[in-house]
Amino acid sequence: MTPTQAFLSGNLQAYILVALLLFVIGLATVLIRRSLLIQFMGVELMLNAANVALLAFARFRGGDVQGTVFYLFIIAVAACEAAVGLAIVVALYRHKQTTDSDRADSLRQ
Amino acid sequence: MFLIFALITLVGALLMFRLKNLITAGLSLVLCFIGIAGLFVLLGNPVAAALQIIVYSGAIVVLVLFVIMLLASHEEENPEKPRSIQRWGSAVTVSALGVGAIWIVKNSKILASPTTPNVDPMTLNRLGASLFRDHLVGFEIAGLLLLAAMIAAVSLVKREL
Repeated sequence: MTPTQAFLSGNLQAYILVALLLFVIGLATVLIRRSLLIQFMGVELMLNAANVALLAFARFRGGDVQGTVFYLFIIAVAACEAAVGLAIVVALYRHKQTTDSDRADSLRQ
Repeated sequence: MFLIFALITLVGALLMFRLKNLITAGLSLVLCFIGIAGLFVLLGNPVAAALQIIVYSGAIVVLVLFVIMLLASHEEENPEKPRSIQRWGSAVTVSALGVGAIWIVKNSKILASPTTPNVDPMTLNRLGASLFRDHLVGFEIAGLLLLAAMIAAVSLVKREL
């Protein structure tokens, strides 16, 4: 199998590339979009990119079970982050009637 | 198969980035997470795939969609100021990071070195044994963290305690 074929059928390089691209898209969402809710989705996407890289390395470099255990811990932390982050967004909306992160800068004044 | 799921994942992520309507953006995030679950199946890890669908696309994204619908802010609001320096700066930074990532993965000798994939797929049996034998403290701390996050969410949203 040539390297290109191996890449297209999914070797370690291909999985890491997908993970990096997902991370970059998530980072772009956080930096460029303004709504807090979609920035939150971008953070979830970055966490998932880390998960893809973790499980790909676990598969191709040994240590399958450890990788999945850490994946479990990561999704527990992501669930906590979802609960607290969304509560903060709801509290902000109740306070200032907005979910725009540019308008939530009153701590600077 | 790998190409199909990788394309589903990346297209879902790009749609989430581009779409103006927040609800359709959340739904394309579900598409992206389903693609990631497919990648996990291809990695021989059906446990992680099931958890991905249940927890991410089933719970977290649905929670976000509920909040979007509750807050009645379905579209991004008009910008207060254009802030074009920040926007273009972040676009340039992000595209430089993306090109650098592709370049690094393409030229990395360590990533390209021959691999020995584990042949047996992940089972709940092995995962549970390792979780409760070797990582019991971490498991308990994760439970405590979830409880703390639940209390924090309730106390943040409640008007007066």
